[in-house]
Amino acid sequence: MLGYYLRLAVKSLRRTPGLTALMVGAIACGIAACIVTLTVHHAMGRNPIWWKNNVLYAVTMDSWDPRRPYDPDRPTVAPSQLTYLDATYLYGSDIPQRKTLLAFVQGALAGAPGQSAPVWAMTRITTAGFFHMFDVPFEYGGPWSAAADQGPQPVIVLSHRENQRLYDGRNSVGRTILWNHLRFRIVGVLAHWDPRPRFYDLTGGGSGDFGGSARAFVPFRWGSMLHLFPIGSMSCWVAPGAPPLQTYRDLLASNCVWITMWVELPTAARRERFLDFVNAYWAQQHAAGRFQRPRNNHLWKVSQWLRLHRIVSNSSRLLLRIAFAFLAVCLINTVGILLAKFLRAAPLAGVRRALGARRGEIFAQHLVEVAVLALSGAILGLLLGIAGLAGVRALYAHSYSAYGKVAHFDLIGIAWALALAGVSTLLAGLYPAWRVGRTSPARYLKSQ
Amino acid sequence: MSLNLRPLLSALRRNPTGALLVTLQVSITLAVLVNAAWVVHQRIMRIEQPTGINTRDTFVLQISGSSNQFNAAAAESEDLAYLRGLPGIVSATVSDGVPLTGDGGNTGVWIEPGQQGQVTLTSELGMDQDGLKTLGVRLIAGRNFRADEIQPYVPGKQAPASEAIVTESLAHALFPHGNALGKTIYSSEPRTIIGISRDFMGPQLGQPTERTIIYPRLPGQGGYYDLLVRTQPGKRDALLRLARKHIAAAHRYGVVVDARTFAQNNRRRDSGNRNVAILLALVTALMLAVCCLGIFGLTTFNVGSRTRQIGTHRALGARRRDVVSRFLVENALILTAGAVLGSVLALLIGNWLTLHYAVPRLNMAYLAAGIVTLVAVGELAAWQPARRAARIAPSVATRTV
Repeated sequence: MLGYYLRLAVKSLRRTPGLTALMVGAIACGIAACIVTLTVHHAMGRNPIWWKNNVLYAVTMDSWDPRRPYDPDRPTVAPSQLTYLDATYLYGSDIPQRKTLLAFVQGALAGAPGQSAPVWAMTRITTAGFFHMFDVPFEYGGPWSAAADQGPQPVIVLSHRENQRLYDGRNSVGRTILWNHLRFRIVGVLAHWDPRPRFYDLTGGGSGDFGGSARAFVPFRWGSMLHLFPIGSMSCWVAPGAPPLQTYRDLLASNCVWITMWVELPTAARRERFLDFVNAYWAQQHAAGRFQRPRNNHLWKVSQWLRLHRIVSNSSRLLLRIAFAFLAVCLINTVGILLAKFLRAAPLAGVRRALGARRGEIFAQHLVEVAVLALSGAILGLLLGIAGLAGVRALYAHSYSAYGKVAHFDLIGIAWALALAGVSTLLAGLYPAWRVGRTSPARYLKSQ
Repeated sequence: MSLNLRPLLSALRRNPTGALLVTLQVSITLAVLVNAAWVVHQRIMRIEQPTGINTRDTFVLQISGSSNQFNAAAAESEDLAYLRGLPGIVSATVSDGVPLTGDGGNTGVWIEPGQQGQVTLTSELGMDQDGLKTLGVRLIAGRNFRADEIQPYVPGKQAPASEAIVTESLAHALFPHGNALGKTIYSSEPRTIIGISRDFMGPQLGQPTERTIIYPRLPGQGGYYDLLVRTQPGKRDALLRLARKHIAAAHRYGVVVDARTFAQNNRRRDSGNRNVAILLALVTALMLAVCCLGIFGLTTFNVGSRTRQIGTHRALGARRRDVVSRFLVENALILTAGAVLGSVLALLIGNWLTLHYAVPRLNMAYLAAGIVTLVAVGELAAWQPARRAARIAPSVATRTV
């Protein structure tokens, strides 16, 4: 029976090619708009390390100026980075199962075979915990040891891209490379790893959140060993009468916040203990004259951290809503056209009813026709949507905005959009199919 | 022409579903159209906000030391001497931030010592006496820095500058009653305002962008500095390539991190707004098109299903014009209903946008323009099928189908 209905449906659709094209086109446009905006929205809002959402915590303390908040628009929110004093003290705790500190410094890489001039490579100073906590995949080798953090030993981990550039992607583990003119041993090369958004470090505004990751990684203490000023985000406040910040020593003792800290706390009990530890430190420092703002120590889960930094842009939300309004208009349009079309063909349904077809069968027959429409609209919409995503990427190719950077074909987003297409079009077809199913045969037979 | 609405209304009443659907479409389209146009207008205003900078003939090279053996002070004076000696270069300066990019510092400024009273937040930029000329920014009061006022970079011991040039907006924010010139302002150090420049967009991209304070101070902290260069018209790209190549090879412990024209930086700065405007306009235009197709479809259907009725009407003496206007008036009724419902919807959405997205309150002129546009386009969509209806011969009424 289904085959017969399908044949009838195709016949009916081909009888009015203009209307059919119009309906399929309208559904496809609506679906494509939804695919593009949903994909981008989904990619922006997702948590790239959801499986560790309940064990990883970013640490913040409000060390800011007592006279005014860090962010005047959100006075209760502490800076998202820590000062050197606080970060190094908190890092000394052994309550967390793992812990890490993050900052960016300048790096120049040289000495690879065949390399003429040094290349600039944004370098992350961090600790071994970084690779373990964030499940960073390695292509060759692995993270450095805890002892390398202490030394610090001259060990370096290269990103996939940098290894491609310097060693043509070959296994470079064990080789020596010049990092800022010092000899470093390569201990690991990352596999391709570029979580978006860059959840572990959301500083750097719209570009940084979705930007690429560092090209090289070295132990955190190399920053202070070599007096390398951080080149990522840094915010400072100067107390009245305090000398301006000039030397690296000034920086380490300053109020400047420039270090992101993460801890891994597998149980609620550990989480409580670590928060108590932070609070005790706060109280001690508060008594000594620092931390004169209200106590605002916080451990943020990854999902909370992403929300706190308002990763999903307002433009994205706006475009998503408009795309849905557009789809609604397309569907209402389809309901109208289907209704008109079915009712005009109602005499045919009348004849079939008179010949013994039941109401349910007429309904089913028309619903099959709707399903054919929905499927064609969805497929065309998918193609248009993929083209649309490429268009968005091209549009945003040279932009600070993150919108284009995440506009990639994403199976989950597209599955959502297709499901939406199918369900909504079928729903739109329900009423017209039901209406025509209700026609009484007598009325149409009379007028024949 | 006498128009009797009664037969129209009864026709609508007999088959209300189609008309209702079009009303719904029209109202949603109107609501989105009006608000999208309003948001696009806001974005375009932000794009068209002048930068105040010569973005045509300028480029920037960002230099970073790759070791703490890098002597930034020596390197920057070498680079400046090289750049200033190149034929085709109008002016070059060294700075600690790059306007239009977000790369640079900001600071709080007070008009009383000891950080008392109200603080004004502003972008800050350390440059030498050629800075304003390089950016193409004119002074409107006071004077430029003198060469002897520029504080060189001395690692760990740089003397604070005691002069400052502020933009018009910053001068007004600090001293609303004018007379900023010659006044002392306080950030980490007290400084005298010796000049007021025209507004230009500083390094920080947050609002308000055109507040900037300039210090006579050379960069170098952290082994990092920016070379800003202005060339004669048409020579920018060639000189950018040349300078980049030379400077990349000039320093043993320094690398060129980035080399870009100001035009590229400016495109990147406003591309977010421009692209959102493009996407919004595109979706709204498609929506309007689909809505018109809906109107076209409904009118075509009505014409088709009322063929005999129209024939009878014509046989009874209606002119072609009457038939056309009958359909257009019927369509106008639907459009009016859609416009009323859509206006309510548009206002609700506008209100919601104001509350949640900080979009200014919807301008009523936009609503009025939206209604006019939609009604005009909607009538146009119904016109072709209505004309086809007018061509139906009266004899159709007497024939059986």
